[in-house]
Amino acid sequence: MIRYLLGRAARALLTVALVVTFAFVVLRMSADPALVILGPEASPEMIVAFRKAWGLDESIFVQYLDWFRAILRGDLGISMRDGRPAIELVAERIPATLALTIPALMIKIGIGIPAGIWASLHRGTMVDRAVMGLAVAGFTVPSFVLGLTLVLIFSVWLGWLPSGGQDNWVHAVLPIVTMGVGGAAILARFTRSAMLEVLGQPFIRTASAKGVPWGRVIRGHALPNAAIPTVTMVGFMVGTLMAGAVVVESVFSWPGVGRLLVVAVSHRDLAVVQCILLVVAATMVTSNLVVDFLYGFLDPRLRSGARTGGH
Amino acid sequence: MTAPLVSVDGIARHYAMRRGLLGRPVEIRAVDGVSFTLSAGETLGIVGESGSGKSTTGRVVLGLEPADAGSVAFDGAAMPAAGTATWRRQRARMQMIFQDPLGALDRRLPIAPQVREPLDIHEIGDEKARAARVADLLDRVGLSADHGRRFPHELSGGQRQRAVLARALATKPDFLVCDEPISALDVSIQAQVVNLLVDLQADLGLAMLFISHDLRVVRQVSRRVAVMYLGRIVEEGDADDLFARPVHPYTRALVSAAPTPGRRMADRVVLVGDPPDPADRPSGCAFHPRCPMAMSRCREVEPRLTEVAPGRRAACLLVDAAAAEPREGAR
Amino acid sequence: MADVSLEVPRRAVPLRLPRLPIAVSLALVWVGGMIVVALLADAIAPYGYTALDLKHRLSLPGEPAHWLGTDELGRDVLSRLITSIRISLIIAFGATLISATLGTTLGFLAAHFRGVVEQIVLMLADFQASMPFLIMALAVLAFFGNTLPLLVCLMGLYGWERYARIARGLAVAAGSQGYAAAVRQLGASPFRVYARHILPNIASTLIVSMTLVFPEVILMESGLSFLGLGVQPPMTSLGNMVGYGREYITRAPWIMLSPALTIVFTTLAVSVLGDWLRDRLDPTLR
Repeated sequence: MIRYLLGRAARALLTVALVVTFAFVVLRMSADPALVILGPEASPEMIVAFRKAWGLDESIFVQYLDWFRAILRGDLGISMRDGRPAIELVAERIPATLALTIPALMIKIGIGIPAGIWASLHRGTMVDRAVMGLAVAGFTVPSFVLGLTLVLIFSVWLGWLPSGGQDNWVHAVLPIVTMGVGGAAILARFTRSAMLEVLGQPFIRTASAKGVPWGRVIRGHALPNAAIPTVTMVGFMVGTLMAGAVVVESVFSWPGVGRLLVVAVSHRDLAVVQCILLVVAATMVTSNLVVDFLYGFLDPRLRSGARTGGH
Repeated sequence: MTAPLVSVDGIARHYAMRRGLLGRPVEIRAVDGVSFTLSAGETLGIVGESGSGKSTTGRVVLGLEPADAGSVAFDGAAMPAAGTATWRRQRARMQMIFQDPLGALDRRLPIAPQVREPLDIHEIGDEKARAARVADLLDRVGLSADHGRRFPHELSGGQRQRAVLARALATKPDFLVCDEPISALDVSIQAQVVNLLVDLQADLGLAMLFISHDLRVVRQVSRRVAVMYLGRIVEEGDADDLFARPVHPYTRALVSAAPTPGRRMADRVVLVGDPPDPADRPSGCAFHPRCPMAMSRCREVEPRLTEVAPGRRAACLLVDAAAAEPREGAR
Repeated sequence: MADVSLEVPRRAVPLRLPRLPIAVSLALVWVGGMIVVALLADAIAPYGYTALDLKHRLSLPGEPAHWLGTDELGRDVLSRLITSIRISLIIAFGATLISATLGTTLGFLAAHFRGVVEQIVLMLADFQASMPFLIMALAVLAFFGNTLPLLVCLMGLYGWERYARIARGLAVAAGSQGYAAAVRQLGASPFRVYARHILPNIASTLIVSMTLVFPEVILMESGLSFLGLGVQPPMTSLGNMVGYGREYITRAPWIMLSPALTIVFTTLAVSVLGDWLRDRLDPTLR
């Protein structure tokens, strides 16, 4: 168990290291930092001095290590657009993004998991088909289409809710719903198939044949076992919250990290893009680690130290 | 006697196996010091239970797996490493027949192109010559041109093995290794395939290593036979002689276990104890826990393969006085 | 079972269409229609996709001159839609082919060399699967700017890890025993073993995976284009049209609705086909 978690932690660190390397390589391939930061009017002497000052005359490997060290210190560069540290710009946008993503996550879990369980226990009924139909729609309707459709209905035609901005909580309703609905559909579909897999297994039949009440079979045997893949899926959703926010924040002009990323990309504001990349990777890696710790509690095979097969 | 086509000198093959998920790796000696020679046109049968290392021996001799110790020489030259260009070219001269003919054939291709494949690989003949050769080969193994147009799953087990045989013979090899070639087939067609093998071996002058657990078949196919137990040859000799007068207790047990008409059950030597486990090799003579004639020193002394009669070798302390005496004297 | 008398009727596949579920038939018709539209885009589009008709700006759908209406510059929405379908499908097809080729090759390399190569491929696959692709794509676009070939290649990095895992698993299974080992010991080169034997044997599984990845590529491209970072004007794609139509959502929602519906129906249709193919050809996939 300890060994397993240490292995996972090592892989998490490796992921972050890969992201940092990726950012370094892409930056080096796209532009000379001296030219980018000093601008086209810089004199050759200035460029030489700058290179010396920033260690750009060192070998690429030394530069890479310096780059790594700077990131460990929290130095992620200066935004080229307004001259402030990139990390500050990103940090002040994070609350706005969390204000959307956390309620959306609650919708996903609160609707998706019960709907999936319900559908699995009423397999083949109208309820099941409705849940599955919605789940397919949730997958095939892109969030920007869903968001704009909601705007069209609730803002333009009915006039009930504002279509954008961030003045009070009413403005957050449509973006939260947009983000939550698609995820809820995917989670419902996932939970349903996890439940069906567990329900088809011999130990469930054995338990119900022994005369254990069906309700207790579900609560005591089926749900804990179906929880393992479902927790993975939820963990993945937490990890990709930021990615989902990019599109939805753009649709509703919501001033969060996702919107910042789109703006930074269109202005080629490299430092900010890299900073967001790291925040996203850190979120991903942390949620993966949390899922792995949860696994330890959910999966008795892991607790005892043995581990079977891959996933 | 001419120089041997295949000479195998003390080959060994070891695997590391884990017991359980977190267990320490245990070294398994699948093959542990096997030597023999094979002249052109000669047939050697290898008999043994599963786990005796007979299939691994076949694979090492063919160069499909490297030997961890010892060496294999083919036509006087050492075996090149698997996968190299030399090794690939050499495949035209040595071929293998597998236990499972359906698994050995590509189920997405009809039979004829698969029989033709060695000719394509080794670039033998032109388009027309290859087609003619395929027709000839199919005919040779008793398949029609129509069979050649079918897919593997549309043939019976025996027909598939014939197809595999035709493919193996396409490049006119000198040496053929047959690894349990009939044990996956229906009993009713085993004899047909064995007869075909015997005929082809004689007609084409193939050197053949015939691996089987079935004594009767080995006896029918091979002139010489080697008996393997836990990775070693325990007895080797002329087939008829060896089966008529087995020296090693293990050979005796095998021979008596095979049903022979006209012999009374009372003569049977019954093997006791657990079947051999390569991961847990007994000390001394590996056969001693099951041997009805085991002596106390069998537990300590490893018998060597020694000549007990002209053309006859056996590894047993009962016949190896030289190994037994000094040991006892030392006590 | 006698060896000689066994006569199996050869390839007795009757030439009649299998019964298709209604959803699958509809999906087939839709996808077929999309492909025809994409192929014949220039011939069937009533106007050029940049042609202006300043007298009919923001005209409603249903008019004989402009069936799906026009945008605020008087450009014909139907013509733009047809061109967009072509561009979006080209990107999605190109990207799917690239990612299938890349993934399968890497999977085969991992299976062939094992050891370090395999570890690296699996590590990259894990990395690719765990990082949100949209963010990575945005980062690359930020650094490199944007052209159509770059966009296709970038989308071609989407989903390769799934082909790589499948190809590696199946090639390892085939290589350790059976036909691949048999052909190898005939003296065949590794290339011959993989290209001529293993690839045809696992093709159906790979094709099913392609139909499962394809709709995701469409969604990814349309998302990027919607954000204004994918296909660049004056070129147009489905996501691009939606992003553009957003500005006029109050006055002219039709500009946005027709491409939005096209995206939804296309991804839905390909998903339905993919699920159906998976159930038919390869129930072992997920």
